[in-house]
Amino acid sequence: MATSVEEALSFTKNIKLCLENDARCEPTNVNILIKLVKLYNYDKSLRAGKMFLRIVSKSLSKRRSRVAIAMVAVLMGAAMASGLLTVSSGMQDKLGKEFRKFGSNILVVPKSDRIEVGFPGISFGSVTEGQDVVLAGTYFDKTFPDLVTNGEVWRTGIRKIAPYWNVEGSWIEDNNDDQSAIAGISVAEKLNLRLGDYIALSYQNPENKNVSSERLKVVGTLNTGGSEDSQIFVALPNAQKISGRLGMVHSVQVSALCVECPAELIGAEIEKKLPYTQAKTVKQLVRAETLIMDQLGQMMLLITIVALAASGIGVMTTTMTTVMERRKEIGLMKSIGAENLKIASIFLTESVIIGFGGGVLGYFLGNILAQYMAESVFHAPISLVLYILPVTVGVSLAVTVLASLLPVRRATRIEPAIVLRGE
Amino acid sequence: MTKSAILLESVTKYYDLYTRALNSVSLAISEGDWVSIIGPSGSGKTTLLNIMSGLDTASSGTIRVNETDITGLGQNMLTRFRRENIGLIFQQYHLIPYLTALENVMVAQYFQGTVDKEAARVGLENVGLGHRIEHRPSQLSGGEQQRVCIARALINKPNILLADEPTGNLDLKNGEIVMEIIRKLVNEGHTVVIVTHNMDIAKQSRRIIEMVDGKISADSTPILTASVSARMEHRP
Ligand SMILES: Nc1ncnc2c1ncn2[C@@H]1O[C@H](COP(=O)(O)OP(=O)(O)O)[C@@H](O)[C@H]1O
Ligand SMILES: [Mg+2]
Repeated sequence: MATSVEEALSFTKNIKLCLENDARCEPTNVNILIKLVKLYNYDKSLRAGKMFLRIVSKSLSKRRSRVAIAMVAVLMGAAMASGLLTVSSGMQDKLGKEFRKFGSNILVVPKSDRIEVGFPGISFGSVTEGQDVVLAGTYFDKTFPDLVTNGEVWRTGIRKIAPYWNVEGSWIEDNNDDQSAIAGISVAEKLNLRLGDYIALSYQNPENKNVSSERLKVVGTLNTGGSEDSQIFVALPNAQKISGRLGMVHSVQVSALCVECPAELIGAEIEKKLPYTQAKTVKQLVRAETLIMDQLGQMMLLITIVALAASGIGVMTTTMTTVMERRKEIGLMKSIGAENLKIASIFLTESVIIGFGGGVLGYFLGNILAQYMAESVFHAPISLVLYILPVTVGVSLAVTVLASLLPVRRATRIEPAIVLRGE
Repeated sequence: MTKSAILLESVTKYYDLYTRALNSVSLAISEGDWVSIIGPSGSGKTTLLNIMSGLDTASSGTIRVNETDITGLGQNMLTRFRRENIGLIFQQYHLIPYLTALENVMVAQYFQGTVDKEAARVGLENVGLGHRIEHRPSQLSGGEQQRVCIARALINKPNILLADEPTGNLDLKNGEIVMEIIRKLVNEGHTVVIVTHNMDIAKQSRRIIEMVDGKISADSTPILTASVSARMEHRP
């Protein structure tokens, strides 16, 4: 570099200043000169930049403990922010799955309601001996060998959709089982049924008035706390057989999990695929879900803001202390020629370094935090979300720089004259 | 008549309502002159120096330095003016503790806008510190630190040098080394103003200004001062 600068300078001596249209002027020389002068300026600013970095890095390493305190303050806020962000990005998915344990959120029924096979979820009143009872046929656990998702054969049924069902005894394992029944707990109590008892059912077809009778063995009792408690459950084909409505169903329950979209959209999709049906979303459940999601989200945002504000205050006080401690040094810098901008740039660069370091470390601590939370709440690990890294670092930088503005302003107001005072 | 390097007209400085540190001081210091300012503690010497250098501003009056009126300038403008025109030396050799001697000199270059390591090294060599450039202030003696300050004050080639008791914290030997450098600077044509308590140092200069209570009470050449004191000594 230095040699080219010297070349440039010696070159200038050989060039006579001339106007552009002057015949004696050699424009190429002028061009070369301009290029080399630019090079010279670049060299100069490079060396100034090096000096600046040296001042900043040495002053930082001189005050390691203060820098560490400020960095820890940032780290805490950043960890909270990134942790909660990670959890909430995984939470929607996880919480959605949790909600699915409370049953279906979409009910598909025919558009005209002509078939009256009972279905779970609707109460038909209390049960007394000799009174009508809803007989519900359903799949408890059914595999669909033709349907493979994610390399697994698709399975569904009550046991998937309503894991909260509490069955004493055993489930009906075989879908073609036409001997077994599961009695709701109210039915079992009213009829004084015990596991292994037999019940006699009679069904009158409303169309042809034919009465069919069936003897079923109670293999299990069911306790859900809901209307299912006063119903009797059998395998779907069995119910279809008893009611003489082979291949027919009254309704289909769907447990739809979609993080990004409302259940209504899935309902609409189903209606499009299955003509003459109506897909009703279970409004209460859906609303409770969105409400809880929203509130959790707001709470997390609030915690994050509070944590970041606390970091900001931490950074502000340490920076303020640093400025006060370094009053003499700042005054000295001014007295030997530093304008306010140079002083501010030193302090702000220190803040940026602290913010960056705290942000990166905070991101990783936040991930550990998120894993811990996910493990204890959802009993499942949470995946690392990479976009949260730049977000966390950006937020940390913003917080530190913002928190430094006041101390930096204080620094620029320090009078250079204090250096000469013998305090 | 020679040009004035520093020209003060009716400069008054109030720190607060009750503290008048300077009381209508008028003073012209010629280019290339060597002036000592003496006077009891609290008489306003440091205040005077601060105002000459633009470290502080006057409450009233005008200040011209190197033919430039700096009276109404703001802090940033004063800073820019100072780094090109005035070198400052303090009693407590203020250096940045975490930087080496060389870096302390280069910092002044950096603030001024041109970093030149070689020039900084030569500057330290000129004050006899060529062998200690990589030492930090804590590793240097008081006299050495003061010489780093001088190298730093000179690095941007100001023609005026203001020193507030530069030898105040130094022993005789180191004080003499510093004064040797200052004499050399005067001979090179710098304008030098030194605040000092030490009459031996004041006598070496070409002009002595005595301050009392924020006013100039005496303005003399050392030859006269010397003869006056000589006469006093011979009195029975
Ligand atoms: N920052 C200040 N605020 C208030 N009073 C000050 C300040 N600096 C100096 N003084 C007062 O101004 C007067 C002159 O001080 P100074 O210029 O430091 O005197 P000297 O350098 O001659 O000892 C003293 O009375 C001192 O107490
Ligand atoms: Mg003083």
